[in-house]
Amino acid sequence: MPILEARAVSKAYGGFLALDNVNLTVEPGEIRALIGPNGAGKSTLIDVLSGRARGHAGQVFFQDAEITPLAPWARRLKGLARSFQKTSIFPALSVRAQLELAARKAEAGGDVGETLAEFGLEGVAERPAGAIGYGDQRRLDLALALTGRPSLLLLDEPAAGLSFEESMKLAKALREMANRRGVTVLLVEHDMEVVFAIADTITVLQLGKVLAEGPPAQVRADPRVVQAYLGSAA
Amino acid sequence: MNRGAFVKGVLMALAAMALGWVASKTVASALVMTLLAQSCFYALFALGVGLLIRQNGMVSFGHAAFFGLPGYLIGIGLKQTDIPIELLIPLVVLAVTTFAFLVGLVFVRVHGIAFGMLTLAIGQAVYEASTRLRGLTGGHDGLTIKFPRELFGLPLKTFQQPHGMFLIAWCVLVIVVTLVIWLAHSRLGRLTEAIRENEERAGFLGYRTLWPRAVIFAISAATTAAGGVLFALYNAYISPETVYWTSSGSALIMAVLGGSVAPWGPVLGSMVYFFLKEALGDVTTHWLGIIGISLIVVTVSFPQGLSGLAMRLLGLGARRRHADS
Ligand SMILES: Nc1ncnc2c1ncn2[C@@H]1O[C@H](COP(=O)(O)OP(=O)(O)O)[C@@H](O)[C@H]1O
Ligand SMILES: [Mg+2]
Repeated sequence: MPILEARAVSKAYGGFLALDNVNLTVEPGEIRALIGPNGAGKSTLIDVLSGRARGHAGQVFFQDAEITPLAPWARRLKGLARSFQKTSIFPALSVRAQLELAARKAEAGGDVGETLAEFGLEGVAERPAGAIGYGDQRRLDLALALTGRPSLLLLDEPAAGLSFEESMKLAKALREMANRRGVTVLLVEHDMEVVFAIADTITVLQLGKVLAEGPPAQVRADPRVVQAYLGSAA
Repeated sequence: MNRGAFVKGVLMALAAMALGWVASKTVASALVMTLLAQSCFYALFALGVGLLIRQNGMVSFGHAAFFGLPGYLIGIGLKQTDIPIELLIPLVVLAVTTFAFLVGLVFVRVHGIAFGMLTLAIGQAVYEASTRLRGLTGGHDGLTIKFPRELFGLPLKTFQQPHGMFLIAWCVLVIVVTLVIWLAHSRLGRLTEAIRENEERAGFLGYRTLWPRAVIFAISAATTAAGGVLFALYNAYISPETVYWTSSGSALIMAVLGGSVAPWGPVLGSMVYFFLKEALGDVTTHWLGIIGISLIVVTVSFPQGLSGLAMRLLGLGARRRHADS
């Protein structure tokens, strides 16, 4: 059974249809990449799945239960976590304090210590998050989503603003962490190299519709994808 | 909070109370003691206002309601019922706190000016009630509170002499400050600070963001109400002036003057306010203008208030609240 399912999801902003009858199923344990040109509706889909976008058509299921009416906090308690394309942290709180909040348990060390180490944030743990470097803030945003042992991670361009090498490094670390923690990942990423390096399955969105879906090799060979998305780059 | 910090907090509180006891024995001047006692009442008032700024990032223009309501409720309660004063006081504080929580559930949904206006409205509603419900409140003449001769095993006059009241108010203040510092480091304190910083992300970490802020609003009102109870005990009188919006404004000035980085900032602010007012009041009738100017100087030069400045001077390294980058 799929861990996450979107059925016939449509979302309009004013008269503009950002998502047009999207169906998506994500299997437990996989790393799914969501790709597509700018404005394709990737962030909007993450918003619908995480409960940030309200007033959409269609239904969302998580671990076989419908979660469409649930607020973000309730989805998070069920094990569905997300990160943000535009860094979303708590600037005045220390890195450690906010990870402790994310862990939802008072115990020091444990999950928090592990996360600090995994994301290379030990050196800045006691500093206010607003005062650390951009790269650290990006990783903190990701760490906030991963702390507290969620079963599904929705990651909206976690490598936004990072160089190609940094993105590649982050992607590999992500893959390793996902495997070890047994967490399912739905990842938005614009860099195809990065996507092909870590994704099990790729879903291509274009103009709010699913254009293609399948294993990386198949998607890469799909002439519609090549034309619509890779065409401009190739 | 760990054991060490707990023991340290209790020891510091006991030391502060001992200091108050020494002060009440050595300072003979009734005027200084009156000023100190009054600054304690208003310190509690301002502490409530500052707590709301610090934890929720919300500025109240109506806390005078929570400061004045205890006096009115105690006065009316003593007149209309047979409830013993030892029970009446906790009941009144509980009633004000519950009222604030319910109001808070609605108010904390909005931010900034809108929140300020809602608090102003509640403050003015209480003021209007205090002037109109003449049968209960005495209208503009105010209400004399008829306390029994003995409360909590102490003679009433202990509560109404500067030296006695200062010591009582000081001990209450020390206990409340200790609790406020503890709150700031507690889970609720951390959570509300996070919500203040980034409400949306707090939601995505699995936290409901409405009720923690309403709880803070209630705690803030309870803190202010504690000052109001002492104020009522000392004066045995309450009038609409106490719940007027300028009264909220004074407490806000004290809170901003003291700063909200350190939880105890408003206490410093109220002490400075009262002694400045007394010192300047002798020289000039324009003391309020001078306080206004000092407030501008402080907020522009030291946005973290006098407590932030004091911590910097003492090398305690006031935690930076905003990004360097
Ligand atoms: N809050 C919004 N209001 C109006 N239009 C929006 C809003 N958010 C996104 N859009 C529009 O919806 C489309 C999809 O946006 P988005 O999901 O952010 O795309 P992607 O993440 O794939 O780049 C874009 O055309 C964008 O301009
Ligand atoms: Mg996007």
